[in-house]
Amino acid sequence: MVYIVSWDDFVQRSVQLFRASPQNTRYVMKYRHSDGKLVLKVTDDKQCLKFKTDQAQDAKKMEKLNNIFFTLMARGPETDITEVTGKEQAAQPPKRGRGRKQ
Amino acid sequence: MVRLQLDPFLNELTTMFEQTTEKGSVWVSLKHSSDKSKVQRNKITTAGKELEFKCLVRATDGKKNISTLVGTKDHQRFQASYATILKARMTSLKKREKKDKRKAVDAIEKKPSKSAKPMDVDKKPPASVKRSTANP
Repeated sequence: MVYIVSWDDFVQRSVQLFRASPQNTRYVMKYRHSDGKLVLKVTDDKQCLKFKTDQAQDAKKMEKLNNIFFTLMARGPETDITEVTGKEQAAQPPKRGRGRKQ
Repeated sequence: MVRLQLDPFLNELTTMFEQTTEKGSVWVSLKHSSDKSKVQRNKITTAGKELEFKCLVRATDGKKNISTLVGTKDHQRFQASYATILKARMTSLKKREKKDKRKAVDAIEKKPSKSAKPMDVDKKPPASVKRSTANP
Protein backbone atom coordinates (compact mmCIF):
# COMPACT_ATOMS: atom_id res chain seq x y z
CA MET A 1 0.00 0.00 0.00
CA VAL A 2 1.08 3.53 -0.62
CA TYR A 3 2.14 4.57 2.87
CA ILE A 4 3.57 8.05 3.11
CA VAL A 5 6.19 8.75 5.74
CA SER A 6 6.09 12.53 6.02
CA TRP A 7 2.94 14.10 7.46
CA ASP A 8 3.30 17.40 5.59
CA ASP A 9 3.80 15.55 2.34
CA PHE A 10 0.65 13.53 2.99
CA VAL A 11 -1.38 16.69 3.69
CA GLN A 12 -0.13 18.52 0.63
CA ARG A 13 -0.72 15.62 -1.74
CA SER A 14 -4.15 14.81 -0.38
CA VAL A 15 -5.33 18.42 -0.74
CA GLN A 16 -3.95 18.41 -4.28
CA LEU A 17 -5.80 15.19 -5.01
CA PHE A 18 -9.04 16.59 -3.65
CA ARG A 19 -8.74 19.81 -5.63
CA ALA A 20 -8.09 17.79 -8.79
CA SER A 21 -11.20 15.57 -8.46
CA PRO A 22 -13.55 16.84 -5.74
CA GLN A 23 -16.39 14.56 -6.83
CA ASN A 24 -14.42 11.35 -6.42
CA THR A 25 -12.01 11.99 -3.58
CA ARG A 26 -12.76 10.62 -0.14
CA TYR A 27 -10.90 10.73 3.15
CA VAL A 28 -11.16 7.62 5.32
CA MET A 29 -9.95 7.15 8.86
CA LYS A 30 -9.68 3.83 10.66
CA TYR A 31 -9.06 3.66 14.37
CA ARG A 32 -8.36 0.50 16.35
CA HIS A 33 -8.30 1.04 20.09
CA SER A 34 -7.21 -2.55 20.81
CA ASP A 35 -4.08 -2.11 18.66
CA GLY A 36 -3.63 1.59 19.35
CA LYS A 37 -3.34 2.35 15.65
CA LEU A 38 -4.70 5.03 13.37
CA VAL A 39 -4.68 4.80 9.57
CA LEU A 40 -5.66 7.61 7.22
CA LYS A 41 -6.45 7.12 3.54
CA VAL A 42 -7.18 9.65 0.82
CA THR A 43 -8.18 8.28 -2.55
CA ASP A 44 -9.93 9.29 -5.74
CA ASP A 45 -10.26 5.67 -6.82
CA LYS A 46 -7.30 6.08 -9.14
CA GLN A 47 -4.57 7.16 -6.78
CA CYS A 48 -4.34 6.25 -3.11
CA LEU A 49 -2.40 7.92 -0.32
CA LYS A 50 -2.16 6.39 3.13
CA PHE A 51 -0.68 7.36 6.44
CA LYS A 52 -0.42 5.14 9.48
CA THR A 53 0.56 6.01 13.03
CA ASP A 54 0.44 4.97 16.65
CA GLN A 55 1.51 8.36 18.05
CA ALA A 56 -0.77 10.63 20.07
CA GLN A 57 0.91 13.70 18.58
CA ASP A 58 -0.25 12.60 15.13
CA ALA A 59 -3.85 12.57 16.38
CA LYS A 60 -3.55 16.34 16.89
CA LYS A 61 -2.18 16.78 13.38
CA MET A 62 -5.00 14.64 12.08
CA GLU A 63 -7.53 16.95 13.72
CA LYS A 64 -6.07 19.85 11.76
CA LEU A 65 -6.33 17.80 8.60
CA ASN A 66 -9.95 16.99 9.47
CA ASN A 67 -10.62 20.72 9.72
CA ILE A 68 -9.04 21.26 6.33
CA PHE A 69 -11.14 18.57 4.70
CA PHE A 70 -14.37 19.68 6.35
CA THR A 71 -13.81 23.22 5.11
CA LEU A 72 -12.93 22.05 1.62
CA MET A 73 -15.85 19.68 1.34
CA ALA A 74 -18.53 21.82 2.91
CA ARG A 75 -17.58 25.05 1.18
CA GLY A 76 -16.29 23.82 -2.12
CA PRO A 77 -12.86 22.86 -3.42
CA GLU A 78 -11.86 26.40 -4.33
CA THR A 79 -11.95 27.80 -0.78
CA ASP A 80 -8.78 29.17 0.65
CA ILE A 81 -7.84 26.81 3.39
CA THR A 82 -4.70 28.22 4.93
CA GLU A 83 -5.97 26.44 8.03
CA VAL A 84 -6.80 28.97 10.73
CA THR A 85 -6.61 31.97 8.43
CA GLY A 86 -9.37 30.45 6.32
CA LYS A 87 -11.71 30.64 9.30
CA GLU A 88 -10.49 34.11 10.19
CA GLN A 89 -11.35 35.34 6.73
CA ALA A 90 -14.85 34.06 7.21
CA ALA A 91 -15.07 35.90 10.54
CA GLN A 92 -13.76 39.24 9.25
CA PRO A 93 -16.67 40.51 7.09
CA PRO A 94 -19.12 40.86 10.01
CA LYS A 95 -16.47 42.73 12.01
CA ARG A 96 -15.91 45.17 9.18
CA GLY A 97 -19.62 45.95 9.25
CA ARG A 98 -19.44 46.88 12.90
CA GLY A 99 -16.41 49.10 12.20
CA ARG A 100 -18.25 51.16 9.60
CA LYS A 101 -21.15 51.83 11.98
CA GLN A 102 -18.71 53.34 14.45
CA MET B 1 -27.14 2.69 5.91
CA VAL B 2 -28.86 4.85 8.46
CA ARG B 3 -29.02 8.53 7.58
CA LEU B 4 -29.10 10.59 10.78
CA GLN B 5 -29.20 14.22 11.82
CA LEU B 6 -26.00 15.83 13.09
CA ASP B 7 -26.43 15.34 16.84
CA PRO B 8 -27.77 11.77 16.80
CA PHE B 9 -24.91 10.92 14.46
CA LEU B 10 -22.38 12.26 16.96
CA ASN B 11 -24.05 10.28 19.75
CA GLU B 12 -23.98 7.07 17.72
CA LEU B 13 -20.35 7.69 16.83
CA THR B 14 -19.45 8.04 20.51
CA THR B 15 -21.25 4.77 21.23
CA MET B 16 -19.31 3.04 18.46
CA PHE B 17 -16.00 4.18 19.91
CA GLU B 18 -17.07 2.94 23.33
CA GLN B 19 -18.11 -0.46 22.00
CA THR B 20 -14.89 -1.06 20.08
CA THR B 21 -12.56 -0.42 23.00
CA GLU B 22 -11.66 -4.08 23.46
CA LYS B 23 -11.63 -5.22 19.88
CA GLY B 24 -12.74 -3.97 16.49
CA SER B 25 -12.20 -0.79 14.51
CA VAL B 26 -14.08 2.37 13.75
CA TRP B 27 -13.98 3.68 10.19
CA VAL B 28 -14.99 7.27 9.53
CA SER B 29 -15.03 8.59 6.00
CA LEU B 30 -15.56 12.06 4.62
CA LYS B 31 -16.70 12.82 1.13
CA HIS B 32 -17.72 15.91 -0.77
CA SER B 33 -21.27 15.51 -2.03
CA SER B 34 -24.31 17.48 -3.07
CA ASP B 35 -26.68 14.62 -2.20
CA LYS B 36 -28.31 14.71 -5.62
CA SER B 37 -28.09 12.33 -8.54
CA LYS B 38 -26.09 13.19 -11.64
CA VAL B 39 -29.26 14.02 -13.59
CA GLN B 40 -30.45 16.45 -10.96
CA ARG B 41 -27.00 18.00 -10.74
CA ASN B 42 -26.86 18.60 -14.48
CA LYS B 43 -30.31 20.14 -14.42
CA ILE B 44 -29.30 22.53 -11.68
CA THR B 45 -26.10 23.60 -13.36
CA THR B 46 -27.78 24.12 -16.75
CA ALA B 47 -30.45 26.22 -15.06
CA GLY B 48 -27.62 28.48 -13.93
CA LYS B 49 -28.18 27.92 -10.22
CA GLU B 50 -25.41 27.11 -7.81
CA LEU B 51 -25.05 23.62 -6.48
CA GLU B 52 -25.07 23.39 -2.73
CA PHE B 53 -22.14 21.38 -1.49
CA LYS B 54 -22.17 19.32 1.62
CA CYS B 55 -19.88 16.95 3.37
CA LEU B 56 -21.08 13.38 3.65
CA VAL B 57 -19.72 11.76 6.78
CA ARG B 58 -20.04 8.03 7.18
CA ALA B 59 -19.08 5.87 10.14
CA THR B 60 -19.09 2.14 10.70
CA ASP B 61 -17.86 -0.35 13.23
CA GLY B 62 -17.90 -3.18 10.73
CA LYS B 63 -21.50 -4.10 11.47
CA LYS B 64 -23.50 -0.92 11.86
CA ASN B 65 -23.45 1.86 9.30
CA ILE B 66 -24.41 5.46 10.01
CA SER B 67 -24.15 8.61 7.97
CA THR B 68 -24.95 12.29 8.02
CA LEU B 69 -24.68 15.31 5.77
CA VAL B 70 -22.88 18.37 7.07
CA GLY B 71 -23.71 21.63 5.33
CA THR B 72 -21.66 24.80 5.17
CA LYS B 73 -23.35 26.39 8.17
CA ASP B 74 -23.08 23.33 10.39
CA HIS B 75 -19.59 22.31 9.52
CA GLN B 76 -17.74 24.33 12.16
CA ARG B 77 -19.99 23.10 14.93
CA PHE B 78 -19.70 19.51 13.71
CA GLN B 79 -15.95 19.89 13.40
CA ALA B 80 -15.63 21.04 17.02
CA SER B 81 -17.80 18.20 18.36
CA TYR B 82 -16.05 15.64 16.18
CA ALA B 83 -12.63 16.83 17.37
CA THR B 84 -13.77 16.53 21.00
CA ILE B 85 -14.97 12.97 20.48
CA LEU B 86 -11.72 11.96 18.81
CA LYS B 87 -9.54 13.55 21.48
CA ALA B 88 -11.53 11.86 24.23
CA ARG B 89 -11.50 8.45 22.57
CA MET B 90 -8.08 8.06 21.02
CA THR B 91 -6.39 7.32 24.26
CA SER B 92 -4.51 4.18 23.26
CA LEU B 93 -2.04 5.95 20.99
CA LYS B 94 1.53 6.22 22.28
CA LYS B 95 2.64 9.51 23.74
CA ARG B 96 5.73 11.32 22.56
CA GLU B 97 8.27 8.53 22.55
CA LYS B 98 10.78 10.73 20.73
CA LYS B 99 10.97 13.32 23.50
CA ASP B 100 11.55 10.62 26.12
CA LYS B 101 14.37 9.23 24.00
CA ARG B 102 15.92 12.68 23.72
CA LYS B 103 15.88 13.10 27.50
CA ALA B 104 17.54 9.72 27.97
CA VAL B 105 20.26 10.59 25.41
CA ASP B 106 20.90 14.00 27.01
CA ALA B 107 21.14 12.44 30.46
CA ILE B 108 23.88 10.12 29.16
CA GLU B 109 25.68 13.02 27.44
CA LYS B 110 25.71 15.09 30.65
CA LYS B 111 28.23 12.84 32.44
CA PRO B 112 31.22 13.19 30.03
CA SER B 113 30.57 16.93 29.46
CA LYS B 114 30.67 17.74 33.19
CA SER B 115 34.10 16.19 33.67
CA ALA B 116 35.66 17.58 30.43
CA LYS B 117 34.15 21.07 29.96
CA PRO B 118 33.32 23.26 32.98
CA MET B 119 32.18 26.14 30.69
CA ASP B 120 29.41 24.02 29.27
CA VAL B 121 28.25 23.09 32.75
CA ASP B 122 27.83 26.80 33.56
CA LYS B 123 25.73 27.31 30.45
CA LYS B 124 23.66 24.20 31.02
CA PRO B 125 22.05 24.90 34.45
CA PRO B 126 18.70 26.16 33.10
CA ALA B 127 18.38 23.09 30.89
CA SER B 128 19.54 20.76 33.66
CA VAL B 129 16.96 22.27 36.03
CA LYS B 130 14.27 21.31 33.55
CA ARG B 131 15.64 17.80 33.25
CA SER B 132 15.91 17.24 36.97
CA THR B 133 12.27 18.14 37.46
CA ALA B 134 11.27 15.88 34.59
CA ASN B 135 13.31 12.81 35.58
CA PRO B 136 11.46 11.66 38.75
